Amino acid sequence: MSWLIHEIRLIMRSRLSLASLLLLFTLSSLAVWSGLHEVQQQHQTIAHLAQLHTQDVAAVAKKYGQSPNAGNPAYYTFHNTWDTPSHTAFIALGLRDVVPYVLRIRALGLQAQLYEGETFNPELALAGRFDFAFVLIYLAPLFIIALLHDLVSGEKQSGRLRLLLAMPGSPGQLWRRRALLRLGLLLWGLLIPLWVGMVIAQTPRATVGLLSLIVLSYAAFWTGLALLVAVRGQHSVTHATALMGTWVILTLVLPTLANMVLTRAIPVHQGVDLMLSQRQNTHGAWEISRTETLKKFVKSHPEWQDTAPLPPGFHWKWYFAFHQLGDESVAPQAQVYRENLQARQQWTQRLGWLLPSIGAQAILHRAADTDLQAQLAYQDQIATFHQTLRHFYYSYLFNERPFGTDDFAKQPVFSPRPPTATGLGINGLILLVQAWLFFALGLWRLEKIALKT
Amino acid sequence: MKIVTRIAREEWRIMSRNRVAMSGLLLLTLLTLMAILSAFEHQRHTSTERTHYQTLANQAFENQPDRHPHRVAHYGHFLFRPLNALAAFDPGIDAYTGNTMFLEAHRQNSANFGDVRQSSLLLRFGQLTPAFVLQVLAPLLLIFVGHAAITRERESGTLRVLLSQGIHGHQLVIGKVIALSGFAGLALLPAILALGWLGASTAAAWPLALGLLIGYTLWMLIWLLAVVLASTQFVRGRDALLVLLATWTVLVILVPRWAPDISNTLIPLPTRFENAIHIERDYQALGDSHNPNDPKFKAFQAQILKEYGVRQIKDLPVNFKGLVGMEGERQSSELFQRYAHAIFEQQAKQSRIVDAFGWLSPTLALRRLSMTLSGTDLANFRRFLEQGENYRYDLIQRLNRLQTEEIHYGDDTNPHRENRLSHTHWQAFPEFSYVPAPLAQTLQQAALASGVLLLWALILGCFTHMAAVRLERNIR
Repeated sequence: MSWLIHEIRLIMRSRLSLASLLLLFTLSSLAVWSGLHEVQQQHQTIAHLAQLHTQDVAAVAKKYGQSPNAGNPAYYTFHNTWDTPSHTAFIALGLRDVVPYVLRIRALGLQAQLYEGETFNPELALAGRFDFAFVLIYLAPLFIIALLHDLVSGEKQSGRLRLLLAMPGSPGQLWRRRALLRLGLLLWGLLIPLWVGMVIAQTPRATVGLLSLIVLSYAAFWTGLALLVAVRGQHSVTHATALMGTWVILTLVLPTLANMVLTRAIPVHQGVDLMLSQRQNTHGAWEISRTETLKKFVKSHPEWQDTAPLPPGFHWKWYFAFHQLGDESVAPQAQVYRENLQARQQWTQRLGWLLPSIGAQAILHRAADTDLQAQLAYQDQIATFHQTLRHFYYSYLFNERPFGTDDFAKQPVFSPRPPTATGLGINGLILLVQAWLFFALGLWRLEKIALKT
Repeated sequence: MKIVTRIAREEWRIMSRNRVAMSGLLLLTLLTLMAILSAFEHQRHTSTERTHYQTLANQAFENQPDRHPHRVAHYGHFLFRPLNALAAFDPGIDAYTGNTMFLEAHRQNSANFGDVRQSSLLLRFGQLTPAFVLQVLAPLLLIFVGHAAITRERESGTLRVLLSQGIHGHQLVIGKVIALSGFAGLALLPAILALGWLGASTAAAWPLALGLLIGYTLWMLIWLLAVVLASTQFVRGRDALLVLLATWTVLVILVPRWAPDISNTLIPLPTRFENAIHIERDYQALGDSHNPNDPKFKAFQAQILKEYGVRQIKDLPVNFKGLVGMEGERQSSELFQRYAHAIFEQQAKQSRIVDAFGWLSPTLALRRLSMTLSGTDLANFRRFLEQGENYRYDLIQRLNRLQTEEIHYGDDTNPHRENRLSHTHWQAFPEFSYVPAPLAQTLQQAALASGVLLLWALILGCFTHMAAVRLERNIR
């Protein structure tokens, strides 16, 4: 055990190493705190809005409490939906700062409501969030490079290399111990804040394990890479330059290039197309015969086939029917739009097979349930709720039942989506294999070089 | 002067043999070229697409069948945000804002379908644009190439020889600065050409392109002074390199992410949901402008009757229902404007906090300057939203006026009449065209940021000068 005390003393004596370890610990603590703070804020917002919403519905119920039909209540009542942040959301906030996690909808055409934007400051969103994912993906490799690039060359330049190699014991053991010790200390700086954060956020145990594994693997990848460079018997500066260059290419250059290719390869203008045609089709209803519209509606909703025919003039059931037909007319376009969004997500995950920075980023956001897939799941939940809502009002409208104060209490209530976070999956496995392969290769080379020098 | 050029020439010779310097320069040039081509292609494609959609939307609006004007007001109109010419150089917040606005009566909608919602997380890694290459990668290259400028002389012992031969410290340092400037100039060259090209594309763009050029030159100057300064301060090149890399990480990667987070925490924005509830409540309080007998419009009714000198609504020469619509739209637009203005002001406050961090990290100052001059900052987006809102208000009021003047009150209140007007009426409406900010205003908005950059360069220049003098003193 004396070697351990000795090595730790060596690290403590190096101001640079000590400072960088403390700095990493501080940064990841700050990132975890900032993420927790943001998630708490989102919980508060959701609770606060639920309260506001109740008041809002009460006002509508007061105004339209004695309605002869459900038209006005259905038209004027908004229903609130929300996407609760997961217990892991704090590590990677993902899209939650730029897309709505609260949305109010009505029983009118859904496609005109679903893509509503959120109020946010784009200048602030531009650089990305300062969350744990950022510290791990971007900053941790830099610290690994700082601690390991002169593992061998530092000793060589200070003239101790020959002496160290002449010491008894298995060749490479010294370097391995040193490298692993530095990595170990660095990992504590990452993992302790993460674990504390997860305890506070009550993250499920399986996720804690998964995320710890990802942190370990991503660090192992960079350690392996750093060792592969560090064993080349060149000057420390050359090593630092080579490693820094690799970092820039892996985390800055290639992902941006990939994004460029991906946006070109899978265009998503269908969103705009569907919005334009939805409006066209919905408003077109005012130009065609109302009975015609209703006939079309009961085709997809046969349960209302035998209800009373439309009276001349305006009737609310016709109004809600043509809104629904507007949605139905763009359903294929909405499907294609969605598929393209999913394709973008999928290809990003596949890119992770080649680039561990993207791979780790994708897995963290999947585990946090804050990525595009999570966003689409929220939209699905809204769509399901919207359907329940429509059918609730249809039963009043088509049966010509009045809508009273009691009926306001019977309005359907949104239930938030279950978490969609998945386990490691194939993408995760590939990342693990890749990372530990590099790690093993790095350790193995340590042995070789020690022999050769 | 001769000595300075000789030192610079010597440094160039060494650089040209430095593998890192040459391959780095090559890579940077390649990336810049790729970024320029891709940005330009993206720009052209997006522009064509938005023009195409705008034309479609205009046609759809004009080709409506004969309708009641208020039906037309609910049918609404779509606006597509046009792209600025210089957005190809720095797209700024372009990917983060919505591109489409739906205009309708009684409502102010958000701009939707921004790229950020339609992209995987890759977008969050940044976009490969000329601005990104110069802001993030170019300083790094300068660090790799220049960190050893003085330490190399010191480590090999030539520093003492040079200084004892009567070469002044500042001559040595100026020589190195000139050599690095030449290198930085080479790195900037593709971007300069691109700016020239973009600047020449429209008459209005060239002063902005020139401003961008000055801004980025200052940026490179700041970094090469910092690199040379660090090189004079350390005995070993390795230490200079590590300190510079740490500085780069903090200034270019860390602070630009951190500052917005702080700003967001200090000034939280209300969600659209919350605002919508408040707006809806205030809007309901205004009364229903579809109903000419709404009690909220009683005073308005009395005033109109008095104005026209008649006793009853049906005696009015115009359609009172249209007048109520106009009055309602006026009041509700005022309401929307008030809320929108409050949000804009909150956002501006947030951005000002981030800008204040520019004194701490010149990256933020450069980003402000770059986005402002490229016309891709929040102020520009706000301009589009405000012009869109003005266009919406004008459009709806034109339709309300048609209702007032062309449809009889008696007909309009008869539920069995459709009261359609010929579509030629709204075919004559003007189309939306975005008016970019005047040059003087843009330059003024960028003034503070360029001041910050200039100050950074001046301070670093002073420090470098002091360090050069000290170099000499320490040796003798």
